[in-house]
Amino acid sequence: MENLRPKLKQETPRRVLVADDDPVMRHLVTTSLKQQDYEVVLASDGREAYRILQTDSQFRAAILDMTMPFLEGVDLVRYMRSEKRLMRIPVMIISAERDLKLMASTFSAGAVAFLAKPFTPDQLQSAIRMLLGSGSSIRRAA
Amino acid sequence: MKKTMISFSANNDLEHGRQVFRPAQAAAIDNDAVDMKVLNAFEELQPDDGSDLIVELIDLYLLAAAQRVTQIREASIATEWVLLTRVAHNLRGSSANLGVRKVAEICQKLEWMDRHDSPQTVAVQVGLLEYESARAGAALAAVRQGRLV
Repeated sequence: MENLRPKLKQETPRRVLVADDDPVMRHLVTTSLKQQDYEVVLASDGREAYRILQTDSQFRAAILDMTMPFLEGVDLVRYMRSEKRLMRIPVMIISAERDLKLMASTFSAGAVAFLAKPFTPDQLQSAIRMLLGSGSSIRRAA
Repeated sequence: MKKTMISFSANNDLEHGRQVFRPAQAAAIDNDAVDMKVLNAFEELQPDDGSDLIVELIDLYLLAAAQRVTQIREASIATEWVLLTRVAHNLRGSSANLGVRKVAEICQKLEWMDRHDSPQTVAVQVGLLEYESARAGAALAAVRQGRLV
């Protein structure tokens, strides 16, 4: 068992997809992820994120803005849940809306976390830790 | 936080279809344009590489906000409500997160507006947005300058 641990650690990608059309939000999320030693793959709108996901599934998690040009975050979640190779990736949605119906729709689409703007650095870091921690349970369930 | 009252008068000019507001005391920059407590909270995310996250956030915000305010003005003139509300929503998110509250509040009002609102009502809010955005820009530029010294 002890011998397996380093191997399992290597197999878990330390890459996170971040899609947001707001450069301030992208920078904030990227900074927080880099502090936790994650590599960040950036997309500046929903279509760019979709194109990345079509060819790349090696992500530990995805952090998606709800409202983006071309494709919304929730549409990307639905796409990810419909593709076997992307199903295991936990997704967090960030939104400036605090509407309960919107939150419910993101969870029913398959997101595992929801972060409402404005958020504090503590809230951002906690949400990211929770998201990255949830990956293992999703992988086990998949 | 010290608050300095700025009175401003709306003149009756319409510049490209929008109400123009001119600060009565242009020299005075009031400190309530940016909630420094919110902005300074990001100190805890400062990287160890010597860069200044807050300066970087200010730079990104100033560039993006200027573009978005222009987009909002153009969308209001063209009565493109879908575009206007989308851009206002986007600007609200980053403004609220960095403590630029007045801009965030006006963006929220703009998001609620639709084709039923008169062009004059929208123009007033767009004018206020430009005014508050300029105030916030000046305040953030001062913060940025202070951090670089």
